[in-house]
Amino acid sequence: MTAVLVIEDDDRIRLALLLALEDEGYEAVGAATAEEGLRAQRRAPADYVLVDLMLPGLNGFECIRQIRRDDDVPIVVVSARDDTHDIVAALEAGADDYVVKPVAIKELTARLRALRRRARSTVSGQVPEPVPVLAFGDLEISPDAGEVRCGGQPVPVTRTEFRLLCELAEHAGRVLSRQQLLSRVWGYDNGDERLVDVHVGRLRQKIEPDPANPKHLVTLRGLGYKLQR
Amino acid sequence: MRRLGLRTRVTAAFAVGALLLAASMALVSYELTRRSLIDERERTALRAAYFDATVVRAGLDTDTPDVVEVLRSLDTGGSRRPVLHLDGEWYARTADPGTTTAIPTDLRQVVAAGKPAVQRVRVNGQTALVVGVPLSATATYFEVNSLLELEQTLQVLALALTTVAIMVAGSGAALGWYATRHGLRPLTAVADAAEKIAAGDFTARLDPATDPDLTRLSSSFNQMVDRLAHRIERDRRFAADVSHELRSPLQTLAAAASVLARRRQHQDERTALAAGLVADEIDRFQRLVNDLIDLARSDQPADRTPVDVAALAREACHTLDLSGSIVHLAPATPATWRVDRRRVAQVLANLLDNAVTYGGGPTSVVLSHDGSAGVIEVDDEGPGVPVEDREVIFERFVRGRAAHTRGAGDGTGLGLALVAQHAAAHGGHVTVTDRPGGGARFRVTLMDCLT
Repeated sequence: MTAVLVIEDDDRIRLALLLALEDEGYEAVGAATAEEGLRAQRRAPADYVLVDLMLPGLNGFECIRQIRRDDDVPIVVVSARDDTHDIVAALEAGADDYVVKPVAIKELTARLRALRRRARSTVSGQVPEPVPVLAFGDLEISPDAGEVRCGGQPVPVTRTEFRLLCELAEHAGRVLSRQQLLSRVWGYDNGDERLVDVHVGRLRQKIEPDPANPKHLVTLRGLGYKLQR
Repeated sequence: MRRLGLRTRVTAAFAVGALLLAASMALVSYELTRRSLIDERERTALRAAYFDATVVRAGLDTDTPDVVEVLRSLDTGGSRRPVLHLDGEWYARTADPGTTTAIPTDLRQVVAAGKPAVQRVRVNGQTALVVGVPLSATATYFEVNSLLELEQTLQVLALALTTVAIMVAGSGAALGWYATRHGLRPLTAVADAAEKIAAGDFTARLDPATDPDLTRLSSSFNQMVDRLAHRIERDRRFAADVSHELRSPLQTLAAAASVLARRRQHQDERTALAAGLVADEIDRFQRLVNDLIDLARSDQPADRTPVDVAALAREACHTLDLSGSIVHLAPATPATWRVDRRRVAQVLANLLDNAVTYGGGPTSVVLSHDGSAGVIEVDDEGPGVPVEDREVIFERFVRGRAAHTRGAGDGTGLGLALVAQHAAAHGGHVTVTDRPGGGARFRVTLMDCLT
């Protein structure tokens, strides 16, 4: 059964989310604080983490950062705050997606399924035929092994970042619009383009020698992004 | 008449001031120079006339003087013409015709009375200086001095002074222009900062160190911006806090309602009905909260990016289970506009939702353009909107005739108000008219979408 860790300080919201997620067939575990959630994730890693931003003690941003330090588990922020600063900060801290409360359970599970699909297809290696390593100069992407190497050194990327990179690599040298990337990587029909921008920014920090002047993952103003040598 | 700008006025004042100053200086110098030149000329003329008179007197002392020969023997140069009045007869050199008539009668009488005299006269359009010297009881000697050279000198002087005056006036204007530019520079800085702030950049400040005389302006301006920024931040925080406080319990309700909905078949009829009502109202409450938050924020400027509006419109149709084929792009209208994606998505969703709820469903969504403005038209086949309600329906929480005919049901009462706000954020507006053939036509104009 798929395990979901819900880090939410409001007891009622946590209880209601656990009830609803269990109804949808997930094994849901609750944590009232970031510290408790971090301990739970270390003890028994869940397949997904839902996290609130306004938490007592360690806040949600820091919680995401700490989980992300040694775990590529998909993290979805479930917050009542929909301020641009908060969304961007949470995504920059390492979250994969961001939904604003109140979110319908159907919508939430759809988001989780979208994350699950890409986790399966990229990590569990269910692709029948082996896909060759895609090389972009000193940047190498192995879709089968789920590995990214930069100048021969392995680069740790999250599943979402990896999926985004693969999507761009499959269309090497062609521009993909933010909406196309949102639909292919996150499964959104009409989503928030900041999701793409922040993930691209995070990827650049990892794969570009000079993230401010990217040479592989370039922006085409008003059009989108493309991956090149 | 439009009032002239400060800069124009200061420049004009500088120019007029400089001109007045230069002109009066020029006039005074001209007058002084002219007088001293004329005095000088008079003295010279007198000296020469006395000398010539002595020569003539000596020439006339003989028994049978040849008057004309005596006059001819005078070394007068080109500018002096001697005339002798002897025993009632006028004598002049033949080379000097008409000079006798130039001598005025009153001068003649004064000199005849035995007094030397000087008078300026005009001869043949030229000024001349006539000097009269009595020689004896019957003889008077006159010399007509041409002042042509002096006049020419004075003309050159006048020309030079006028030129200088004009140049000084021009320099005055330039100085005024430069001074105002320099003086208005702090105002330009204030205007730049104010524009930035109006555009939403609250980090814009004036540098208080630039000029000690402007410290008060810059510090009070900065203080004002600080307070404004603080107030806006507080309002923003308040909206964020309120939304947080409203959204959190809604999350509990939404999750709990989905648990209830899953167990509908196990509930008795009355419980199921009640659970359904709760779920529906939670849904409405949720939309109301979102609309309220959007409305509270809609004074923020539109965050424009290139957006495929045709795709966005089809997407909005799909969300409401409508066919995307009702979306039409007018010929020569590009599909991609520079707009705020979130706002336009909401405009389309709200207009379509409105058409579904009150207009019997939308019949078409037409995207066209008017210059650089993008135009979205959503038609429906409902009863249309009465003329007297065509402005009211765009107000918030309208509860009246309009609400009974169109706003009842499960709407939030904010959908069309949001459409109007989003259009305004794009510098545009929304109107409703009758669709040819019945029904309503909502027309949203979004400015500067096509570049």
